[in-house]
Amino acid sequence: MTIVLKDIVKAFKTDVVLDGVSLSVDKGETLVLFGPSGAGKTVLLRLIAGVVELDEGVIEIDGRNMDGVEPEDRGIGMAFQNFALFPHMDATENIAAPLTAKRMGQQQIKHTVEKVARLLKIDHVLHHKPKELSNGQKQRTALARALSGEPHILLLDDPLRNVDAKLRFEMRLELPRLLKDQEATVIYVTQDYKEAMALGDRIAVMNGKGIQQIGSPFDIYMSPANVEIARLFGDPVINLLDVTPERSSDGVQIMLSGQSLVIDDGYAQSIGQSCVLGIRPEAFHFVEEGTQGAIPVSIETEAPLNEKTVTLALTKNKREVMISRPAGAPAPSSGTAWIKVDAKNIHLFDRQSGLRIDPLKTQQAQGAA
Amino acid sequence: MTVQLSLKAVDKFYGAIDKGVHAVRNINMDVHKGEIIALLGSSGCGKTSTLRMVAGFEDTSRGTITLAGREIQKLPPVKRNVAMAFEGYSLYPTVTVRENIAFALKAAKLSETEVAAKVKEVSEMLEITDILDRFPTSISGGQQQRASLARALVRDADLHLLDEPMGQLEPQLRTLLRGRIKHYIKERGLTAILVTHDQTEANAMADRIAVMEGGVLQQFASPEEIKEAPANLFTGTFVGEPPMNVFPAVVSDTGDQIHFDLQGGLDLQYPAKDFSADVRQAMLSRRQIVLGVRPYAVQRSAEGAPATVEANQWLGDQTHIAARFAGASIVLVEHDFTDVALGSEIRVHLNPNDLHVFDAETGQALSHGAQLA
Amino acid sequence: MESVNPIERALRGIAITLVILFFMFPIFWIILMSFQTNETILRMPPSMVFTPTLENYMALITGKLETSAGILEIAFMKNLFNSFFLSTASVAIGLVLGVPAAYAFARLKFKGSEDIAFTLLSFRFAPPLLVLLPLTIYFQQLGLANTYGGLIWVYQLIVLPLILWIVRGYFEDIPADVEYAYRIAGHSWGATFRKIALPLAGPGIAAAALLAFIFAWNNFVFALVLASADKQPVTVGALAFVTASGIQYGQIAAGIVLSIAPTFALALYAQRYLVEGLSLGAVKG
Repeated sequence: MTIVLKDIVKAFKTDVVLDGVSLSVDKGETLVLFGPSGAGKTVLLRLIAGVVELDEGVIEIDGRNMDGVEPEDRGIGMAFQNFALFPHMDATENIAAPLTAKRMGQQQIKHTVEKVARLLKIDHVLHHKPKELSNGQKQRTALARALSGEPHILLLDDPLRNVDAKLRFEMRLELPRLLKDQEATVIYVTQDYKEAMALGDRIAVMNGKGIQQIGSPFDIYMSPANVEIARLFGDPVINLLDVTPERSSDGVQIMLSGQSLVIDDGYAQSIGQSCVLGIRPEAFHFVEEGTQGAIPVSIETEAPLNEKTVTLALTKNKREVMISRPAGAPAPSSGTAWIKVDAKNIHLFDRQSGLRIDPLKTQQAQGAA
Repeated sequence: MTVQLSLKAVDKFYGAIDKGVHAVRNINMDVHKGEIIALLGSSGCGKTSTLRMVAGFEDTSRGTITLAGREIQKLPPVKRNVAMAFEGYSLYPTVTVRENIAFALKAAKLSETEVAAKVKEVSEMLEITDILDRFPTSISGGQQQRASLARALVRDADLHLLDEPMGQLEPQLRTLLRGRIKHYIKERGLTAILVTHDQTEANAMADRIAVMEGGVLQQFASPEEIKEAPANLFTGTFVGEPPMNVFPAVVSDTGDQIHFDLQGGLDLQYPAKDFSADVRQAMLSRRQIVLGVRPYAVQRSAEGAPATVEANQWLGDQTHIAARFAGASIVLVEHDFTDVALGSEIRVHLNPNDLHVFDAETGQALSHGAQLA
Repeated sequence: MESVNPIERALRGIAITLVILFFMFPIFWIILMSFQTNETILRMPPSMVFTPTLENYMALITGKLETSAGILEIAFMKNLFNSFFLSTASVAIGLVLGVPAAYAFARLKFKGSEDIAFTLLSFRFAPPLLVLLPLTIYFQQLGLANTYGGLIWVYQLIVLPLILWIVRGYFEDIPADVEYAYRIAGHSWGATFRKIALPLAGPGIAAAALLAFIFAWNNFVFALVLASADKQPVTVGALAFVTASGIQYGQIAAGIVLSIAPTFALALYAQRYLVEGLSLGAVKG
């Protein structure tokens, strides 16, 4: 089933949440809607589900206009951020809700519920009421309910938001297989960039009333369309430094703490312009004193972060930079150190508009870097 | 190192002593001057009760709490000289953010220039200079939280308590502020206790982490020690992201070989000389053990055991791979883009130096890679 | 701090006792009175010592009131039945009309919905006497005066706003997502109302029904004006004890005890629901 959205507009009173959003999702694809809270992701999902009414635009599911089609007739399954389990029904009845709607026989319902429950490892708590379930079990029950009717379209609204880190991690690894087995078209909403990159065939980045970029995780991480998107992907956040590219004898250069960083000739278009240089923390490397182009920094603090070590350091001009390296990799931990960045791993943005400056090269060439 | 805060045999009961809910069980803990301590655990583990007893918002059911040489467990909060940043912000709603932050300083009769300088410094550090003249109700949750943090950090107190101080902040700001706050606390030699359920925060900021579960202090050690030598299965699997891989196993010793029989018929063999006599003894006396190995320590190597790839997730600077192994799932972390197809077979090797061995029954750690042989 | 010093605790205890005495004493006194004859009630100074008698209750149940001027027929048991029937029927009809309306007001934000809901509530503000005169005339012309139907209709003025506002609060407290989830699972709007909204608002509906019952039971003015003897509830019927030969205090007391017993028992039984229902209604309203 394909989903096509055309020029969607939605406002609550005078507050415009979505302003001309267009999007299409292919059959069997998992599309992640990613963005900070308030970007309209959940509203978009609810419009597709039919529980919130559209102001303008068209929603088509498999070529059929959804205008006037009730939520129960759209053939979708949905999981909610707050689980939205039926508190007065036990897990079995919750999971069976899409099946009773289809007037399936008791025996077949029982069989189907048990199958889905086994898949999600909740077959031992089927007779518990929601309030007797742990958070992780609630979340799995909600997911089981969304899956049990074997819908062709699955809408998942940040389903891992309210479970602890360990479960979230487990589910993140489990979900892709589960979704592929369903052969459903999936729209997945999240605020966690790692979830977005791990689960999405494509990611649509929503920020400020609309979609700012759609692409594969690789495209978005390697070629973010603007400064905001670069900031949203990556932990620690990308280092952003105000710079003005200059002409040098070797082509185009950027001065960092008095050291010249020669960058791609393709950036010649922005010589003399006010720009923002983006360098991901992992793109910096510690080097020996005296290495060509090395920038001296004074180290403020160092902290471990999910199998990485993050160093917060100050440049000569008192600018903060964060440097990350795989945990265990040796590096100076106090005093003055020297760091360097490979010119291939930089991002340049226009300071005024925040838009990415493309060095006029194909993305494959960038990606290979 | 002088001890700044000391908890001795501290218990908390909700309801009657020995009858009510036993929320905190016999906690003993010394915090040194200038140290940052994290109380880490999931909700209901007793960390917030402990913090509230130290702050004085909750009666101490039993035991003594000593701060800077004074026994404080019977004192009201105002007499404890403790500064606290609340999870629920609790700013004074009728005055501006600036006055909120300066409140305690003015009460301490600091000169106006001194107050202004301190407020400026802390608000620059927390990036709230632009909202200093606004009222708490007109700023966002994240800003309120930073204002509350500023109000606590700016004070000169014997102890600073930070209760989930960054829960409301956007993730982009969090990593940066963790570094800055740590630097700020260290520079002034303050003593701080951070309560958090986020291990990343605890690891990033604390000198030592107190891991709590079920009201019991499970381990109190540096982040490195907790990572390299978790005291028990709970700490081992709770701290670490991605979590530690664990496999139940049966140990046998053939003299020159140690065998670990894992589920799914997998038999891992290591030369006996890789394990010290004590460890061999300990493992053989139990037989039923749990093997733990950190995801980053799992190596891909031709001589390893076969595993089928179930997930391969690239996160920009890391790749997380999950594979079917020993009847369970094993997770690997690689530090670059790794292209292995789903369903393909990889070979994983567990280096004896990276193995953590736990007693299957009690969960207590028997040995850690570093202690082997 | 949780610790309270002993003096504070003692003072608190005394204060609570005083309040309880103040509110409970009349009820206690009435119960005592209902077991006494008029003579013992009226003696001076009053005393708690007397020989209990069931005379008053007997008189009410048999319907024969012995006064110094002779035997008087009273219809107290009939009144009690009327009260019961009128209240139950009013609440039943109030629920049938009010619960779906409350759901509509809670879930569908249609144009003017707030105004309509408020107008309905405002029926509770108006003094009943304001509407009574025109109502009496209409009812006489329509032939509704002195009928159960007419009374039940008028009782909706009491019952409906109460049910509407309390139940609406309960419906609003059900997360919309729970209902959306049921619809997306493939169930119609009506099924969602029956299977999700109704069961989840159950306690609220029960509380509203109970309160409405008590309010209907205690009503006096409507029945006084619109009903004659055979349709009167106890509240009005009690007037019969003010006889030509004096006020029959003993029978009045027994009548009051009998008439408050059902509501009192109901209120005690469902105290928790009532408090919840009332506070919810108050907050949401």
